[in-house]
Amino acid sequence: MANLNVAVIVKLEPDFSEGNVSYNADGTLNRAETKSILGPHSAVASSAAFYAKVRYGASVAVATMGPPIADSALQQAQLLCDADELYLYSDRMFAGADTLATAEVLKTGISKLEGKMDIVFSGHRASDGETGQTGPQTAWKLGFTFLGNVIDYDVDMQNRIVRARRMISLQGFYDVVEEVEAPLPVFIAIDPSYKASFNTVSQRLAFEKYQKEAKERAQNYKQYLKVFNAQQLGVDPKLVGLPGSPTIVYKVERIPKAKASRRAEVVDGTNREQLAKVATRMYEVVGGMVIK
Amino acid sequence: MKKYQHLYVIIEHEDGKPVPVSLEMLGEARRLMDGYNKKYSADEKVVAVVLGHDVRRLCEELIFYGADAVIYADSPELRYARNLIDTKVISRIATSKELAAKFSDASEFVRPRYMFFAADSIGRHLSSTVLAELESGLASDINKLVIEDLEIKHEHKTKGQPMKYERTLEMYRPDFSGFLWTTILCLDNRNPAIERDYHPQACSIIPGVFAPIERDSTRRGPIVDYVPKFDECDLRVKIINRKIVKSTVDFDSKKAIVSFGRGIKDSPEENIKLVAELARELEAEVGISLPISKKPFAVSEGTSSTYMIPDRVIGTSGRKVAPLLYVAAGISGAMQHIAGMKEAGFVVAINPDEDSPIKDECDIFIKGRMEDVIPLLLEELRKQKPAIEVKK
Repeated sequence: MANLNVAVIVKLEPDFSEGNVSYNADGTLNRAETKSILGPHSAVASSAAFYAKVRYGASVAVATMGPPIADSALQQAQLLCDADELYLYSDRMFAGADTLATAEVLKTGISKLEGKMDIVFSGHRASDGETGQTGPQTAWKLGFTFLGNVIDYDVDMQNRIVRARRMISLQGFYDVVEEVEAPLPVFIAIDPSYKASFNTVSQRLAFEKYQKEAKERAQNYKQYLKVFNAQQLGVDPKLVGLPGSPTIVYKVERIPKAKASRRAEVVDGTNREQLAKVATRMYEVVGGMVIK
Repeated sequence: MKKYQHLYVIIEHEDGKPVPVSLEMLGEARRLMDGYNKKYSADEKVVAVVLGHDVRRLCEELIFYGADAVIYADSPELRYARNLIDTKVISRIATSKELAAKFSDASEFVRPRYMFFAADSIGRHLSSTVLAELESGLASDINKLVIEDLEIKHEHKTKGQPMKYERTLEMYRPDFSGFLWTTILCLDNRNPAIERDYHPQACSIIPGVFAPIERDSTRRGPIVDYVPKFDECDLRVKIINRKIVKSTVDFDSKKAIVSFGRGIKDSPEENIKLVAELARELEAEVGISLPISKKPFAVSEGTSSTYMIPDRVIGTSGRKVAPLLYVAAGISGAMQHIAGMKEAGFVVAINPDEDSPIKDECDIFIKGRMEDVIPLLLEELRKQKPAIEVKK
């Protein structure tokens, strides 16, 4: 048995990449026409878990809450992190959950995992909801130390300590890179800029070996998949889904068009004479003088 | 009704200097509470909550900027933000009747009615863990707030029956596209099967959206000291090193910014090169709209890691800028983006669609696709350049 156990929580999200995403005429997302994939931040979290596998031989579990089709997110994550186990928490009772009720399901699921978890990873935020709350709330419910905005990490296996670097942006001041140390277990919300690097020959060999294994496993991902409903998880029905959600979406409206703040002069983009005037104006604005 | 009182604002600062969003939150809290005091009750307050070490002077400033009272937790351990202890201290402060009694009649006090956090690297996570601890609702990235009595009919909250919810905080958040506003409410469950109170009603607030009130050094209010106690377990996260880094993206000292958005889509790599060339010609920095930071287009690794990065995002999810000249190429003008560039001196938009919202936010609207317009514009700029340099 591996002496480092890690888990990743992921999410199936609309695919925002060009050609896949579809917008309505008014600029809003056309959900029916947009396909779903493993969210990009979930993918980064999966690659952070893969680093633990390559470096420390960690055992990796991937978990998600969602409808039955969310198992495709687990498959895509498995391809990235060579997961040993995949978990889907799926029940009609979970529908309509806000971040607190979602965190309750994920916390319950992770607590049930075989072996004590040492590190749980999440992405920075989902691309659709964009709250970034589910990760830290799951961490708090688990009682794990929460480390957010983590740009890289290493584990001191002997002392069971994580060393991580975090990128904190102090608006109005500057950015700060902070090095922190915390005993396991920890919950890491990984920064979008995270990139795993493998520097030694043995790491690269391990990388290739696990990557090959990941491909084979992901082809047969259902063998690794376990699905739990609310009863099997043993969640408290009062704490999940709609009853466990303090917040509701009261209304969704189009943001009213602000009053025009400027009156644009319209210029034909193929008309050189007009563009020449624009160029002159640009130089004037930035303080260069133009000889007329 | 007195179980829930006051609006607690969680202040962020760097060694005693408030980050701008802290004063912006206080400004909006003041405006909301002035209305609330008139409409509902005069004895509820804006309470600033500060964690730190030796920042007594900041507490006074917070009163000048709109707080009625300040609760201040002082310890060397609280000098820099650490999620674990900060969450514990804030949760204790928020549930302390004793502290609330220092500035109000708190005989029935249980928790704050409302709570504000900053939607930034620290506040986003802190708000999440505090509200997980307090087991209440949180809406993130808010840019409009209203307090009203609402009639709610909800399948779970009210079991389908219409019910009146008084003093409800309507929390508006723009969605990722910038075209939709979602209003989030945090409501008690009044369904008899699952009755449960959910307070405080909390949110995180986007930096740069609300205006601070004018500093008034005649304002006075109680400053309440709270001495936190920690055990070893609370202090298990250690900050080993803290290094200030400056972004390589420089929006502040450049006179011009050239930004691009999804309009690069027909030939992303080439169009980004054109934008970069235009920026070089104007000695401008390159900005992007939020969707670009999600890397929606396949481009070379170098282009992607140079340009499609969060550091370059202009708007409510990124930076607010005010250059002399702002060029928006292939940007439709979602509200979030406009909020970041509306202070620019002179705005030129390049866009094929005259109906896009950016047209109402620019001084010159060049109608056309950027791949057609920028090369011609570059030629004109280069023709005129020698004349400028002679004059300089």
